[in-house]
Amino acid sequence: MNVQTMDASLQTSRSEANGSEEPSHVHSRRHHPSFPIGVAITLALAIAAIFAALGGARAGGPTTGLPIVSSLADARIGSLLLRDGERYVEAPRLATDIDIALSGPTLRARITQMFNNPTANWVEAVYVNPLPDGGAVDTLKMVIGDRIVVGEIKERVEAKAIYEDAKRAGRKATLIEQERPNIFTNSVANIGPGETVVVQIEYQEPVHRTGNESSLRVPLVVAPRYNPAPVVQTVDFGGRGWGRTSEPHRDPVPDRGRITPPVLDPRIEPPTNPVAITVHLNAGFPLGDVKSHHHAVKIDAPADDTRVIRLDSNVVPADRDFELTWTPAATEAPSVGLFREHVGDADYLLALVTPPLLADAQKEALAREIVFVIDNSGSMGGTSITQAKASLLFALDRLKSNDRFNVIRFDHTMDALFTDTVAADADNIARAKGFVSALQASGGTEMVPPMRAALSDRRGQDSQYLRQVVFLTDGEIGNEQELFDTIAAMRGRSRVFMVGIGSAPNSFLMTRAAEIGRGTFTHIGSVEQVQQRMRELVEKLESPAVTGLTATYTGGAMDATPGILPDLYRGEPVVIAAKLGALDGTLEIKGMIGARPWTVTLPVAKAAEGTGLSKLWARRKITDAEMAKRLRQASAEETNKRVLGLALEHHLVSRLTSLVAVDATPSRPEGARLSRAELPLNLPAGWDFDKVFGERKTNDHRINDQPSTPTLERRADAGSVPVPVKPAPAAFAVASNTSAGVALPKTATDAELKLMAGLLLLVLSLLLVLSRHPRHHTAH
Amino acid sequence: MTAAPPTSTPSLCRRPSRLSPATAAIFALVGVWLIGDALYIHAKAALAQVLLERAFAAEVASGTVVKPWSWADTWPVARIEVPRLAAHAIVLAGGTGQALAFGPGHVERTPDAGEPGTAVYAAHRDTHFAFLGQVAAGDEIVVTRRDGATSRFRVTHTQVVRWDSSGIDPAAPGRHLTLATCWPLDSALPGPLRYVVHADLAN
Repeated sequence: MNVQTMDASLQTSRSEANGSEEPSHVHSRRHHPSFPIGVAITLALAIAAIFAALGGARAGGPTTGLPIVSSLADARIGSLLLRDGERYVEAPRLATDIDIALSGPTLRARITQMFNNPTANWVEAVYVNPLPDGGAVDTLKMVIGDRIVVGEIKERVEAKAIYEDAKRAGRKATLIEQERPNIFTNSVANIGPGETVVVQIEYQEPVHRTGNESSLRVPLVVAPRYNPAPVVQTVDFGGRGWGRTSEPHRDPVPDRGRITPPVLDPRIEPPTNPVAITVHLNAGFPLGDVKSHHHAVKIDAPADDTRVIRLDSNVVPADRDFELTWTPAATEAPSVGLFREHVGDADYLLALVTPPLLADAQKEALAREIVFVIDNSGSMGGTSITQAKASLLFALDRLKSNDRFNVIRFDHTMDALFTDTVAADADNIARAKGFVSALQASGGTEMVPPMRAALSDRRGQDSQYLRQVVFLTDGEIGNEQELFDTIAAMRGRSRVFMVGIGSAPNSFLMTRAAEIGRGTFTHIGSVEQVQQRMRELVEKLESPAVTGLTATYTGGAMDATPGILPDLYRGEPVVIAAKLGALDGTLEIKGMIGARPWTVTLPVAKAAEGTGLSKLWARRKITDAEMAKRLRQASAEETNKRVLGLALEHHLVSRLTSLVAVDATPSRPEGARLSRAELPLNLPAGWDFDKVFGERKTNDHRINDQPSTPTLERRADAGSVPVPVKPAPAAFAVASNTSAGVALPKTATDAELKLMAGLLLLVLSLLLVLSRHPRHHTAH
Repeated sequence: MTAAPPTSTPSLCRRPSRLSPATAAIFALVGVWLIGDALYIHAKAALAQVLLERAFAAEVASGTVVKPWSWADTWPVARIEVPRLAAHAIVLAGGTGQALAFGPGHVERTPDAGEPGTAVYAAHRDTHFAFLGQVAAGDEIVVTRRDGATSRFRVTHTQVVRWDSSGIDPAAPGRHLTLATCWPLDSALPGPLRYVVHADLAN
């Protein structure tokens, strides 16, 4: 496009205009009214044409003969292909129905999963399944046609052996194993061609309560996690050929292969794993506001204390947590709840007590030293980083002038804004805001170094300050234990407040880290929640904690959990689950609210009948035992014995026990092949696929010992010829191909595109000007 | 000429006559802005290299990391030269988008050029590695590192690969250098393919 050409066209139109005035006038009269619209359409067409041309150039471009498969469009919606040896087969499909009955302080969830095998082969379906980390999974049922097989709890190794035996023998079998307290693997063997196997899992969970608000959260997807590479041993040579290897390092994520299911790229694949949710809410008190935070729902109100909540659109893709909150119609929720259950020869008790808010306690608050830590790793890409930044900016605004603070950001690297905490004056806060606003999400998630930095207390002697760490992350790491160890070892007087960001954060990590750090866990699932949740958190940070809590029982023996009651923050209730010898005494809870003593006495005989309390007690005892091991207060053997005993007695899935159900009659004919299919997961809503897998790729090449499934490949297209250029989602490459080599960065600028679009617009504007000339001539 | 009164022009024609100059102006403005932006990308790439040459010279002289400008989040790690094409550039630490705007990036977790393994440098196809298409097997690539060490590499072959299955092993036996940019070289759209130039250390 040069100026001469434009001049030439200018000349032409002028001479035309001079030569024939009238036709030109008519022409302009006919076309001018719609001219701007016409231009817009022309412009759009031109740009589309350019893109098409460029795209064509790209597709046809390589002279090396590399074929670019363009059959993505041919892929059938909702189908996934699984490579089994040389053949491609469709992967099994999963639909889930979740039914939650909530009564008083507990809820019971029944998850019905329908595994459908649309292929012509026998398959084993493997689904990495999220469940709430406080849930006690106690029931498994497998439905085949009109038969129901009820699962049994077994030691993990034994259950696995039973399952493998059944699998080999061609019998249908289901196995539920716990990978993390909030990640379970669900394997279903021998689903025949065209068959559907229904698996039902049930769990019991306590209702979460803070302030006036009660809530339940159903995780629907396991988010992709950053798994730090194992540390390789190094050798120090003394000088004469004899050396010494460094301390043997354990892989921080020994089970990485089990918690990295394939993830679909939402730009290529339609969402999968449809879920229907129904909640029968029976609060036990007249209800006020009932709200679903991330899903559109229909709410029926058969009575003033009862609601039935259903998804508005019947089913949703499993790509974010379902969160429901409710408040009482009265201004204040009841501050005490007491429930009991008789199971076997024991009585179980669940007590909830909310300590009073002291109006004048605010004044006693000490000046604080707060370290904010913000995760700007790749998994935070998309809406999460926006939420995290907004949350942190909110908290910075609420600092008081006598506070000290610092901000640390991290991905696989970290930076502290100030070398030490600084006074929260206007200058420093402005600098911090600038620092936070400029953050961008990319890179891995190395969470231990920033936690270590945040917990380093340089004013250990100076009791003038209350030390708080506010840690904003999605928690998507596989080496949770390393983080727990760090907090346990370095917490000192610091308190750790976890802020979970995003549509599906790792609530196990958040809850446990906050517990060890004696702080709280706040979840922010959408930008709309930032204001309210951060305000609540800031109030907790500013109000005195309820400390030194103890519970004593006058009626005889009591085995209560948690063993050591945690400190509480504004609005949080004391929750005690206990196994009692007899139900005829009083439970006395004592503590300090700020500097003032507080006591409450509960007559146990007045407790209302509850359900599933024994399961909750056992689950909580298991958590206590695991925690003791984490804090190095109990040996591994001791812990294992306790966990195993509790889990087997109360029929619970745990780290050491699994549920297994086996059909008595074989269904797969001898000789028919069985292929394994890991069901892919959705990318959690709001995540940026490239930020996660583009980045993670660079780390993976170091992990050569990762147990991979090389025979398994998932493809998005319907083409069946293996080609050098893979159109498969990157997730598949991550899951199965660890020797793909260095991931190469993006090396294209948009300069050329911009240049072309700019020139095009200039030409169009010139044409616009020119098109007016003829009319000017006629007007003269 | 002036005889035709303005009222003789039907109103249908008048409305667009007021609109089209405005539309034209908006198009022209956006067009100029886009062109400016495109030129800025190239100007930034060119200017940064001047500053980087200085910083790199200071690094070789002082033996420490010198940031090319005070707010830079990267620093020069090497100078790369293809004598036959009289092409050269300063390579920066890290392969992030920010660093690549200023110069070729040394892809993280690959060794320094001249060390055992495969060093990988990546740069934009339309700026710093625009010359990569002309590099042919047998060409010499000279890399001067920040510590002053100079290595000479000989191009063995070129290849088109996917970004996520490059097949480049940073721990490969021997000493190699790989230069990477986006493929196709003359396309204006980002894509999954990369053009890589493999070279081995020549002694």
